[in-house]
Amino acid sequence: MDRRYTILALIAIILAAGLLIIPDKGKTKEMEPEKLLSAVNDQARFITTDAVTERIIGGDPTLQLIDVRPADQFNKFALPGAISIPLDSILSQTWQDVLQQPGKDKVFYSNGDVEADAAWQLCTRAGTRKVFVMKGGLNYWYNTIIKGAEPSNTASSEDLDQYSFRQAAKLYFTGGSPAEERRTYINEDAPEPAKVKVNVVKKAPAKSSGGGC
Amino acid sequence: MGVIPESWNNVFAVLLGMGFGFVLEGSGFSSSRKIIGTFFGYDFVVLKVFFTAAITAMIGLLYLSHIGWLDFSLLYIHPTYLASAIIGGIVMGMGFAMGGYCPGTSFCGIAIGKIDALLFVAGLFIGVLIFSEAFPLLEKLYNSGNLGHKLVSDSLGISKSLFAFLLTVVAIGMFFGATWLERKVKKVEY
Repeated sequence: MDRRYTILALIAIILAAGLLIIPDKGKTKEMEPEKLLSAVNDQARFITTDAVTERIIGGDPTLQLIDVRPADQFNKFALPGAISIPLDSILSQTWQDVLQQPGKDKVFYSNGDVEADAAWQLCTRAGTRKVFVMKGGLNYWYNTIIKGAEPSNTASSEDLDQYSFRQAAKLYFTGGSPAEERRTYINEDAPEPAKVKVNVVKKAPAKSSGGGC
Repeated sequence: MGVIPESWNNVFAVLLGMGFGFVLEGSGFSSSRKIIGTFFGYDFVVLKVFFTAAITAMIGLLYLSHIGWLDFSLLYIHPTYLASAIIGGIVMGMGFAMGGYCPGTSFCGIAIGKIDALLFVAGLFIGVLIFSEAFPLLEKLYNSGNLGHKLVSDSLGISKSLFAFLLTVVAIGMFFGATWLERKVKKVEY
């Protein structure tokens, strides 16, 4: 037997054996369908519009809002700090850097929450972590924060508290007039109990940043 | 992806074809006696060349995929048609054994002026004509036993790298076995 052939054969076997040592990357990073199904049933992916608003106003650095509506709608109106990734390009390589940011909560929103939920499913299946959906979408956000109806005086203190928070948030987003501001204070005065007062103090930073705006 | 425009596909096809033909001729495949040697056991170069090509490509692909230069999911895997593959394999094997050429090497043979290669290609075209005309009759067989994109490693439930290693070992064992057999069988000069 020719020596050269023996050496070549040995090289081939060594290279092939090398394959056994290196980790198998053949497996896809995609989530298993069963896991995806249980993740879909988990409501923890939803974030309320109020929570999102609070984090926007607080300047939460871990929040990354992602607008999955078409670009023209994004250009007309978008939440502060949001970036536009239309649903049809959510898996595009261009946006992987944004979606794979570690330590950031990627919150999808659309007009309702169907498209945002679709984006969440695509990204979750593709193995993206820390993605959330803004529950109710922009419509719910607009109807509660900007056009929020005043609760009756007999409403629960939570409702009144929530309303005062939303009014403050509205000031932040719209840069409201002093009249509105005064009305907000009047409403806060309405529920006298001390319990509510404590909560009002808690919301104060949000309001002060609103005043500065 | 998208680095080289699609209109260049034919240019690459011609260049690769020329390279393939050159290697075939260089390995002596343009002689029908070379291929027929595999059946009579005096020359196993065909077996060695094609198995070397297969294991080299296999090991290369797995390494390239590991270092991230190649995306396995973009590779085209030919679907497995079980029945038509078996019958087609038998027909092709018989053609091989009778003519001493495979379609590729027959054109190599023509390029260097072999008359038997010319006849073989004439037969090849007659075969193509018959198949095309009889296609409505054969269509059911042609599409039968479709198993989709099957990989041997998946069917066996082992990893790609383990299969690659086993195949390499088997191939090299076969090369040495073939060489041993070549020495036993009476040498044919051609």
